[in-house]
Amino acid sequence: MDLPVQQFRSEIEQELLDSFAALHDALPGAQNDRVAKLRSDAMERYASLGLPHRRIEAWKYTDLRARLGEAYPMVRPSGRPIDQAEIEKGLGPRVANLDSYRVVIAEGEFRSELSDVQALKEAGAELRSLAETLEHLPDDLGPLLAETGEQRSGFEAARPTGRSGAGPDPIIALNMALMTGGAVLRLGDGVSLDKPVHVIHLDGAGEPVSSVTRLIVVTGKGASLDLIESYAGLGGRGLQRNALTQIVAGADSHIEHTKIQREEDEAVHLSNWLLTLHENVRYNGFQYTNGGELARNDVRVLFEGEGTVMNFSAASLLKSRQHADTTMVIEHLVPHCTSRELYKAVLDDESRGVFQAKVIVARDAQKTDGKQMGQALLLSEGAEFDTKPELEIFADDVVCGHGATSGQIDEDLLFYLEARGIPEPQARALLVQAFVGEALEQIDREPLRDALTGVTADWLGVKLD
Amino acid sequence: MPAVEETVERVREIDVDKYKYGFSTDIESIKAPKGLSEDIVRFISAKKGEPQWLLDWRLEAYRRWLTMSEPEWANVHYPKIDFQELYYYAAPKSMDKPKSLDEVDPELLATYEKLGIPLSEQKVLAGVEGAELGTARPGVAVDAVFDSVSVITTFQKELEKAGVIFCSISEAVKTHPELVKKYLGSVVPTSDNYYATLNSAVFSDGSFVYIPEGVRCPMELSTYFRINEKQTGQFERTLIIADKGAYVSYLEGCTAPMRDENQLHAAVVELVALDDAEIKYSTVQNWYPGNSEGQGGVYNFVTKRGDCRGKNSKISWTQVETGSAITWKYPSCILRGDGSRGEFYSVAISNGYQQIDSGTKMIHLGKNTSSRIISKGISAGHSNNTYRGLVSAHRKASNARNFTACDSLLIGDQCGAHTVPYLEAKNSTAVFEHEATTSKISDDQLFYCMQRGLSEEEAIALIVNGFVRDVLQHLPMEFMAETQRLIGISLEGSVG
Repeated sequence: MDLPVQQFRSEIEQELLDSFAALHDALPGAQNDRVAKLRSDAMERYASLGLPHRRIEAWKYTDLRARLGEAYPMVRPSGRPIDQAEIEKGLGPRVANLDSYRVVIAEGEFRSELSDVQALKEAGAELRSLAETLEHLPDDLGPLLAETGEQRSGFEAARPTGRSGAGPDPIIALNMALMTGGAVLRLGDGVSLDKPVHVIHLDGAGEPVSSVTRLIVVTGKGASLDLIESYAGLGGRGLQRNALTQIVAGADSHIEHTKIQREEDEAVHLSNWLLTLHENVRYNGFQYTNGGELARNDVRVLFEGEGTVMNFSAASLLKSRQHADTTMVIEHLVPHCTSRELYKAVLDDESRGVFQAKVIVARDAQKTDGKQMGQALLLSEGAEFDTKPELEIFADDVVCGHGATSGQIDEDLLFYLEARGIPEPQARALLVQAFVGEALEQIDREPLRDALTGVTADWLGVKLD
Repeated sequence: MPAVEETVERVREIDVDKYKYGFSTDIESIKAPKGLSEDIVRFISAKKGEPQWLLDWRLEAYRRWLTMSEPEWANVHYPKIDFQELYYYAAPKSMDKPKSLDEVDPELLATYEKLGIPLSEQKVLAGVEGAELGTARPGVAVDAVFDSVSVITTFQKELEKAGVIFCSISEAVKTHPELVKKYLGSVVPTSDNYYATLNSAVFSDGSFVYIPEGVRCPMELSTYFRINEKQTGQFERTLIIADKGAYVSYLEGCTAPMRDENQLHAAVVELVALDDAEIKYSTVQNWYPGNSEGQGGVYNFVTKRGDCRGKNSKISWTQVETGSAITWKYPSCILRGDGSRGEFYSVAISNGYQQIDSGTKMIHLGKNTSSRIISKGISAGHSNNTYRGLVSAHRKASNARNFTACDSLLIGDQCGAHTVPYLEAKNSTAVFEHEATTSKISDDQLFYCMQRGLSEEEAIALIVNGFVRDVLQHLPMEFMAETQRLIGISLEGSVG
């Protein structure tokens, strides 16, 4: 009675299938049998699952099937030049001008002429186009491309039906089937870059388009990487994005990872982070969301080596009818790991924020330390916050906890500031800034933290020194 | 601490030995034919001499049920129930509702006495047999439900003086049809969920309470449920109405004999609180949890919901869950009236192969409503214990307040403790706070207690009792002492 065989298909679900049928011979890697097989397998997975809807537990608060009207045609790379001004316009000068090694993925393809391939090579990192890589797929990437997003442990891993949303993920399947480009970044053992790597995604000038890209990052033993991903539009009339980032963090590596999403108002942003962390990794992730009409950020973390510490935080600043959903599945498969999640949402007008985080501690993962906190500040009557912090714990010697709060600006605090002569709008902005600041503080690198603090101030419409 | 072989042994021994309510009463009974069909629904209805409207109501529910499928989302695993293999009605043969205690089958009375529930009013008043319930304070009226029928309801006369109606629901259908018709299914509609719909079709007995306007119920009311027959399902239905300004405290207790097969208990409890009324509902659930191999035990699939219909009304749920092989219940409050308040205090203890998926829903609809959830889950042995709860504030529920704390304690490394809270705030003035922790008993605390001469098990019982104190203090006096002992028993042998 449940999935996997779906009888009925909505129009958009069918359109996506059709676009695969029309495109698959032209997609990168079509000549490589392994890639072609991975793609058709993925499309089959998608065909049986359909688009997620609210009856799928993990998509309870984001009914994608109902919200997507039609599937936009896949973006066609034009190869047109993109200058600094355009990047600045898309990302805002604060983010665009961060000192970094730049990687540009525009109109669904890797743009080597805009990327610092050579400089990265000199610094010890290998950067390649995903499309090229797919033509001659290295053995170690095969298993990465085969990832379905399925939960490996916990209750739902044992549950065969597709209801729980813990089975194969249709968005990941679509990404595998349809991705047109992206980048592969590798850091050898012990390589430490002097500047962040900034991967800029730009799409959608003119007609509405879909863009499906992937970024794969593999770090060697003891490597250190500061990775920034930013997503922006080029002023087009509509964008449906399916972006996937896969990171395999080698033993003892240290990764700072930030995602900044500032797409145009009509954009639909579907993002997946698949993180595999080996032993003694220090991973610090951050997601900043304030663009698009609909954003869904899936983060899946697998602890595969002992002694690893993961810290994830997110800030979503939403207005008008924006909807942003951050959904995490954190699987502690091994002992002695630590995970921390902190989510902050500022919700104005009729926007809606969603935060779901499931921490699973497998039977053997003793001495796990897991904490999560989801907080929302509702600035207007029509805003809505839904949260579901979940713990599934099968090991006894652990310390796990979660918290969630939802409320409006504290009148006492406001009064305190106003009593000291700060006008109300500034006082409110100050309190919002402080609220978001707790998440921003988690960003280790100062220039980036300052940039995002500035972006927040811009969003609030105030100047803060 | 890894579970040593010895511990596993202990758990095995204790599980079977310690369930002291596991005896069965040898009593002749009348059963409906096995299986479920429209005829069975008619049979039950006829057996109870119900009016046509109620039969129609049941049949509608039954037809609805046929179209529904079993819920699968809970964190519990069990083989599919064959609903055709159950008896839906079982009543002691000697039972045509007796007029007084003298007419009750002595075998039945003996059963209840053995369970520590003296039904004789004199004895209760004398407090002689009440030792089992701690300091049995005189003045607890009991409705005793045995399989599908209510055996006797005590203190009815005394309650009548205060205007309180306390009787079995079958009786209420006859004596107060207007009240039953008005409120039955108004909180849990027949189409609510799979088990509630099944219950609506085949419910047998349960208690009915009506507290008139402005009355403070002079004594605690309680119902004691006992499943005795083999392969029967118990489908009781309880309806409590507190009219304007009324107050009632109601207790519920349950036990069942030890049997190899699983027994189904699918109850529906509906509470209605009108303006300024307060209902305090306490449960000590101690159905047979199954043996140490996880065989047998009661499937407890219960729908409990309270409707704070009036202004400034209050409903409070307190539950101590130690029994049942599988528990699936979410006592909820619909905070409809402005200024209404809902509370939920829960201790859920699982051992052996028990599975618990329980929690609450606080649905804030009215203005200035508040709710409080305190949940303590303790898992030991091979059990899994899930807290699942929803707190939601609707658009118009301005100034809704909620505080939730759920803590889990794990004893042993083969068990699981899980938390699945849902928070939905659709109103910016709503303030929700939720916190949850999971941990094991700290070695320091254990060491401290043992150093002072307590055995490890005693020390654990002491620490656990401290852990659940917040909840227990909300139980009526009658249950507190008993519950503390129960917690000790449920955890014995779980030293990990």
